[in-house]
Amino acid sequence: MTNSLLFGISIFVYFFAMVLYVSYLAFRSETLGKICTLTLLSGVLIETAAIFIRWYESYQLGIGRAPLTNLYESLVFFALTIAVTYLIVERKFGIKTAGAFVTPFPFIIMAYASLNPNEIQPLVPALQSNWLISHVVTCFVGYAAFAVSFGVSFLYLFKVNAENRPSKGEGGFLDHLPASALLDEVGYKTIAIGFPLLTIGIITGAFWANVAWGTYWSWDPKETWSLIVWLIYAAYLHARITRGWKGKKAAVLSIVGFLATIFCYLGVNLILSGLHSYGG
Amino acid sequence: MSEEVKKQKKGPDLVDRIWYFFTSLKLVIVLLLVLSIVSILGTIVEQNKLPQEYYSYLGPGTVELFGKLGFLDMYHSWWFISCLALLALNIIACTMDRYPAIIKGMRKKNVVLDEKLETELTADLAKIKYALPAEEVEKQVTAVVGKDFAGRPVVTEMENARHFFYEKGKYSRLSFLLTHLSILVIFAGAVGGSLFGFKGYVNVFEGEMISSLPAGKNAAQVLNFSVRCNSFNVDFYPSGAPKDYRSDLSVIRDGKEVMRKTIRVNDPLSYEGITFYQSSYGGFPDVTFAVRDKKGLLLDSSVFAPFRKEVAVPGVNLKIEVADYQEHFHLSDGSEGGPAIGLNIYSASAPPEGIWITSGQPGVNHDGTYSFEVKDLKMKRYTGLQVAKDPGVWLVWAGSIMLVAGIMLAFFVAHKKLWIRIRKDGKGRTEVTAAGTANKNKHAFSSELKRLVKRLQEVS
Repeated sequence: MTNSLLFGISIFVYFFAMVLYVSYLAFRSETLGKICTLTLLSGVLIETAAIFIRWYESYQLGIGRAPLTNLYESLVFFALTIAVTYLIVERKFGIKTAGAFVTPFPFIIMAYASLNPNEIQPLVPALQSNWLISHVVTCFVGYAAFAVSFGVSFLYLFKVNAENRPSKGEGGFLDHLPASALLDEVGYKTIAIGFPLLTIGIITGAFWANVAWGTYWSWDPKETWSLIVWLIYAAYLHARITRGWKGKKAAVLSIVGFLATIFCYLGVNLILSGLHSYGG
Repeated sequence: MSEEVKKQKKGPDLVDRIWYFFTSLKLVIVLLLVLSIVSILGTIVEQNKLPQEYYSYLGPGTVELFGKLGFLDMYHSWWFISCLALLALNIIACTMDRYPAIIKGMRKKNVVLDEKLETELTADLAKIKYALPAEEVEKQVTAVVGKDFAGRPVVTEMENARHFFYEKGKYSRLSFLLTHLSILVIFAGAVGGSLFGFKGYVNVFEGEMISSLPAGKNAAQVLNFSVRCNSFNVDFYPSGAPKDYRSDLSVIRDGKEVMRKTIRVNDPLSYEGITFYQSSYGGFPDVTFAVRDKKGLLLDSSVFAPFRKEVAVPGVNLKIEVADYQEHFHLSDGSEGGPAIGLNIYSASAPPEGIWITSGQPGVNHDGTYSFEVKDLKMKRYTGLQVAKDPGVWLVWAGSIMLVAGIMLAFFVAHKKLWIRIRKDGKGRTEVTAAGTANKNKHAFSSELKRLVKRLQEVS
């Protein structure tokens, strides 16, 4: 199928984008930077095309549904949302060196996705709902924003250590990373985007659950973990806005938040049991 | 004397300390993190399972301990609910604490750009001088500013100057109230739903009717009406996966059908605030057997045994009961054996026994006294309905909308204020002073203001 071929190509493009962004850390030439962005952008375009073609092909198979319903499809969509969110953040804040810390995600996630079965399966009755798209899209764009915040926070911890160390003359690549204050700011701004989306994602999920199962909240492991993630970022935002928690503490909380996000997304399905479908 | 003073002080001091405790940000952050950590527990220990399931992987002592600690239904345990109650108190206290300042921030209007305000706003302040008459400048300047700040400004004439006050995003100051009250509204909805609503589950056989159902731990919920399942159907995809579950339901009141609807998984039926959701399905067989004795002699060619009813086989001292039915029976070697009937045999001469009869093969009891051949099998299908009445659900949705609106206001809207002062300077020129402030995202507002000033400078 055409979609599989395009997904395969996008894995390679994401791989090259990752390699280019890492080499950009070392060389920092403006031309190389442009090539980095263009490569990642072409990966995004190819993958977007693949997703829409998969959607179209599902109609040809007489199934006709949005490609957002099993582990494979959610992984490829997650990879796409991370790449897109990163590109937007890169454009807005001009922090190209952060790419080396974020672009491994789309590649690793796509590579992991390719290990999972990718046939287009028809939808079981519970998933046949108009809420599917809004629920999945808001959740995953939120996750992607948290992923970018995670990458940037990680970078922040490196950078701030380097800044605090007494200068040893001409430093390494760390000197060329964006200023820690900017990284801190981007780490916060991305969470400020992810948090409302996660909130909407949880609410649309609750609304859908109420229509499908007669209860908007059943403390199913997936629901509970999404709440845990929400609580962690809520704590982050309270600490930051009201208490002025910045820098290291905020970065650590952002990293913890993203680890919880990953567990909510993958850990719950692979380790715990529950109502969400894309376990295997 | 110091003793007495201390005693007198203790009263208000304690209240202050309690108030401080409930309004402290530390409490919020600790509560949010504690709630998230304890919530993890409930995802590791499976909740609300049957006792035998716990015994299969935990020791009896552990099960008892977990039961006492509320770990097996922890989201309803006293300590989890207490954490939520503490969070609610915390939110109430913080809201009361901040409410006056919020309202003041919205009401307070410093509509005149005076010396004092000027010194406060030096960072975001610009002065422009024009060789035009004041009236002309005012006309053009207000037109330019009006493009950024819609709505009429507050105009004040004071000390030979005209002051124009603009603001936008005023209501973003409500974001704190919206987000925090929304959590209380959602809590209220959840509490209301559990106090005044119910949740239950019922199987309704095709052609049959129910007017009550088991709900909660003890009571049966009696409905003011009956629900009949006219038919139930499942469609499958070619792969064998289920495609669609449909129950054709009728609501019957005083012997009359008042509503009829075919429900599906994402399309329930609601009547008088009670909603019926397609949840599962199944079927039980009514079986007709031919019964033979040891020698193969026919005792009876058609013993009709409805599901879970003991029936006597005529002529011999024997009773049978179809006790179980499985669509996909696993044979002892692990292979799939197709549908199977679980039959209980009560014979006067032997202890009761149970056998499985798989398709195509007659079942024989252990000593071969009797054999049972399935002559006919009629499936009686039922639809499994989740039934819920939740009068609090509307509060939950209202709270959700408030929450999202509040978060959007909090992150994406700032309260921006702009002052324009127009007066004559000593040399007869018209002097315009523009100054502004925003309650968040100050950096972005500064550049916004700079762009505005640039456009004002182009006025001629």
